Amino acid sequence: MGALLQLAEVRRHFGGVQAVDGVSLEIESGTIFGLIGPNGAGKTTLVNLVTGYIPAQSGSIRLGGDGGAAELARRRPDVIARMGVARTFQTLRLYRNLTAFDNVLVGMHARRKHDTLQQIAPLPAFQHEPRARLAKASALLERVGLKPDEYGMRRAGTLSYGDQRRLEVARALAIEPRLLILDEPAAGMNPVEKDKVRDLIRQLNADGLTILLIDHDMRLVMGVCNRIAVLNFGRKIADGSPAEVSADPEVITAYLGRQAEKSGAHVPGAGATTIATADRHGSRAGAAAKPSGRMLEVSNLEVAYGAIRAVREVSFGIDEGEIIALIGANGAGKTTILNTLSGILRPRAGSARFLDIDLTVTSPDRIVRHGLVQVPEGREVLARLTVRENLELGAWVRRDRQAVHREIDALSSRFPILGRRRDLPAGQLSGGEQQILAIARGLLAKPKLLLLDEPSLGLAPQMVDAVFDVIRQIHEEGTTILLVEQNALRALEVADRAYVVETGRILLSGTGAELRRDPAVQKAYLGG
Amino acid sequence: MTQQLLNAIFIGSIYALFAVGYTLVFGVLDVLNLAHSAVFMLGAVITYSLVAIHGLPFIVAAVVAVFICGLLGLLIEFVALRPLRRRNAPPISALISTIGLALIFVAIVEQATPGTLFSWLWQDGANSVRFPSGAVPDPTYHIAGVTLEGTKLGILVTSILLMLVLGYVIRYTQVGRALRAVAENRRAATLLGIDVDRIFASTLFVSSALGGLAGLLFGLALSDISPYIGRDQVELKGLAVIVLGGMGSIPGAVVGGYLLGLIEVVAFVRFGSNVEAGVAFAALFLMLVVRPQGLFGARLKERL
Amino acid sequence: MDFFILLFTDPVRFYNSHELLIAQIGVNAILAISLFVTFYSGQLTLANAGFMAVGAYTTVIMSLYLPLPLPVDILTGTLLAGAVGFLVGLPVLRLRGIFLAIATIGFVEALRLGVILNVPITGEGQGLKNPGADPLGGIVPILVSLPIIAYLVWRLTRAKLGHAWAAIREDELAASSNGINVALYKMLAFVIGALLAGYAGALETHINFFVDPTEYSVTRAIQILTFAVAGGTTNVLGPIVGALFLTSLPEIIRQASAYRDVVNGVILILVIIFRPQGIVAGGGFAIHRPHWWPVNWRLGGRTASTG
Repeated sequence: MGALLQLAEVRRHFGGVQAVDGVSLEIESGTIFGLIGPNGAGKTTLVNLVTGYIPAQSGSIRLGGDGGAAELARRRPDVIARMGVARTFQTLRLYRNLTAFDNVLVGMHARRKHDTLQQIAPLPAFQHEPRARLAKASALLERVGLKPDEYGMRRAGTLSYGDQRRLEVARALAIEPRLLILDEPAAGMNPVEKDKVRDLIRQLNADGLTILLIDHDMRLVMGVCNRIAVLNFGRKIADGSPAEVSADPEVITAYLGRQAEKSGAHVPGAGATTIATADRHGSRAGAAAKPSGRMLEVSNLEVAYGAIRAVREVSFGIDEGEIIALIGANGAGKTTILNTLSGILRPRAGSARFLDIDLTVTSPDRIVRHGLVQVPEGREVLARLTVRENLELGAWVRRDRQAVHREIDALSSRFPILGRRRDLPAGQLSGGEQQILAIARGLLAKPKLLLLDEPSLGLAPQMVDAVFDVIRQIHEEGTTILLVEQNALRALEVADRAYVVETGRILLSGTGAELRRDPAVQKAYLGG
Repeated sequence: MTQQLLNAIFIGSIYALFAVGYTLVFGVLDVLNLAHSAVFMLGAVITYSLVAIHGLPFIVAAVVAVFICGLLGLLIEFVALRPLRRRNAPPISALISTIGLALIFVAIVEQATPGTLFSWLWQDGANSVRFPSGAVPDPTYHIAGVTLEGTKLGILVTSILLMLVLGYVIRYTQVGRALRAVAENRRAATLLGIDVDRIFASTLFVSSALGGLAGLLFGLALSDISPYIGRDQVELKGLAVIVLGGMGSIPGAVVGGYLLGLIEVVAFVRFGSNVEAGVAFAALFLMLVVRPQGLFGARLKERL
Repeated sequence: MDFFILLFTDPVRFYNSHELLIAQIGVNAILAISLFVTFYSGQLTLANAGFMAVGAYTTVIMSLYLPLPLPVDILTGTLLAGAVGFLVGLPVLRLRGIFLAIATIGFVEALRLGVILNVPITGEGQGLKNPGADPLGGIVPILVSLPIIAYLVWRLTRAKLGHAWAAIREDELAASSNGINVALYKMLAFVIGALLAGYAGALETHINFFVDPTEYSVTRAIQILTFAVAGGTTNVLGPIVGALFLTSLPEIIRQASAYRDVVNGVILILVIIFRPQGIVAGGGFAIHRPHWWPVNWRLGGRTASTG
């Protein structure tokens, strides 16, 4: 089998930044090829170059196979798709208002003949084409694990996150591609769901499909790929088998961080599945004086979107000085809970009291003034404002401008990033830097309770280490924290107590240590 | 020629004032407030009413009228915009509801003749009037062969002053930052403790006050006050201005306003009034095709 | 009130005395459908007032100066409108959202102010007299065309073309990745909309003795937009209902008071707030619970639970 996709010295720059700097690689037909690297390394840009969304400025991209190779560079995305290259999107781009069937049917567009005339005169004789299409769509849904009878007629926007990712794969398969590109297909999923994704990828590959996989989850990538390329700052720094790549010292420094030392399980063949972690609680010397009061009391909370009950019978409490984690898969309702606490969503039933106010009827800005501050999922820094302006806005609710300026200076020296980049638009920071900015910004509001929503989402393993260090620090300094994470391992390491949320309910609760040892939790969220 | 240039600068000031209000709402709130031209018209109508019907001195009437127009902005927010935000309506709904409000405003004035419901406001129905002579102080100066009317000078000075103040507030104050935050990401702004509703209301107040001011200055200097001055004179040209300058950019609205004034005067001098009318739109079309973000607007890129 | 009484008790007399109104409703419905087509593919354009003008003027000018039968004039007008649609579409289609809308506004006004008012053959500001018009007979093609057009457009939305349009409307970038040539389909929607608008413009001149340039302004385009949005943009019936409702409303109200525009405006606001999906679409009324309303008191309708 020859090479299906060949990249040679592909280059693309934006302004002064070389996003992709002379990358060459080859994907053998019938293999699963992994592409990894830190945020901003150029992975998605490379995919966009291959699929035609961005024109390459130099270099060639050739799609091979029987019949000779064809040049992809600088062609339109729909032309490339019709040539047999299908993709999913990092940000998940489904047709949300169309049904699951319709999503897949649209995917078949290229293989469908124009039927305008047949539609105008809908005689029985013309019905057999639409029926065949529908049958094919059903088969595709089955293939990705979505039962057509259950899911087919549902609007794509109403599906759970994991199912939506699967639907996107089904839609991509509809064009009968030779190469399938999966851009972070397992982002935000718990280990059980990720295993299902891994199985699906293996199965599709076994059926003959060549796959290019981009993801941050080392366990997934190392476990399923035949070959891996590593990008950093737009250049390829490694290219080889999973074992070779994970042992490469340059890769470890650039990307894998402490995770590589900790998680032997991430490299196939390395044996040990137990994850040795330092128990951090011993080192929290200073946090002596134990909790005074209950800060937050949530009881029987029910939040709904139309007919869908996203959160049900949720009750929990937080004492002053604690760090509490809510863990669970994407779509379990964790963010919904946080948004209800912040006053952005209103519950259908139940109560939530923070100190002396009722969160369910107070306006969001008053809630922040009272000391309940959220650092939202995806960071949501104000990209067009400078770092400094972002920080100043963090103190919007405060009146003491002198103290604010002192604190901004203190934060800037503590987190040098903020000082060095203070006059740059926040949008130019990397993911990890933005997360730190978002946390610093949240701190400036002098929160009594800080809500952190998925701080590690989309960050390379090395940055995740940095962010969790910050979280630990601010907790040690006395901030009460409610942490929502799909990275259950890190969350449970750092939390005093934790709650497991699944399909809108609280399934389990206990101390961080207890839950780490709980076999059910281990299986579902810690990867066995 | 210098006279024409002065005309250009002066009409440009009016366009700029109008457009700044327009772009403020569009840039900050992502809403194209199509009732803005109706408020422009009401600025002139109310001032006229206070002067001609109720006998107030001009300056007092102007200040009161501008304030009332600000209040009308609040009306627009509470009636046409807030209910839609609460219901997460798509952006096109705001277009339609502000159109509805504009219809109402214009119709009220159009139908107001002596003896009707609104005759306390306006009595000339669909006609055009001018401020009674003597009601407005209007010294003229003759310098270097050029005639400078006091009113036009006053307009220029007021406009520039206001735009400088606004620019300063937006760039350097905490409130200005909050405005920019709301413009960029409403949810993130809410989580920072910014009361988004209050920002909407204040923005609409300021924007409408500016629009009303532009209207009364227009009525003053061009001696044309009628229910249709919003629709015929500025509604679409205002769009042309903010497109030229860049939507959501205040300096853009200012530059765009003067630019359009200049283009129109040049077109009038070279080709006559027929072409002048269409030139704004030709410029609009060209700008959108060549550089959609306008002179100062930011490029909108979608993240894949 | 007598309006409705007549409608239900003596439909024939109603028809005869309100022919012009019914014809106008028909024309507006076709115009609203032309907007629906582009809207269905995710494009908000206000250019149809301009395409209308092309269809209208071409038809009348041809009928005044050329000895060809009327259907030929109408056909030419329609096709010319489509061609102009293609030319306008070329530069503007890559614009998104409000920018596209504004560009089309520019086109309409530039056409009206720059061309129509300056070219002698169009009668400039005075408009054109159309002695060949047939107010009574002219209503027939309108009433016949409307259901045919509605049916064709409906079936189009079910065909491969319509599915591609829906995909583009939902997410252009994803549509490309599914092999859809976005630019081509957008242009198709644009041109079909232009053809329909040109056709409507041509038909409209046939029932009036006079072609009035002020008819083809942005104000008219916005009016058509409100028909489509208030009626509902999820299926073909919506624009028809919207046109019916909002065209006849001023007539009904006319009997009552001179403030019909005020009532028009009020109704527009009420519809868009409480039924933003339009009259025809499903989904109930949008009711919002104020944040101070105690959580456990029920509210009817489709409660939006956001604060």
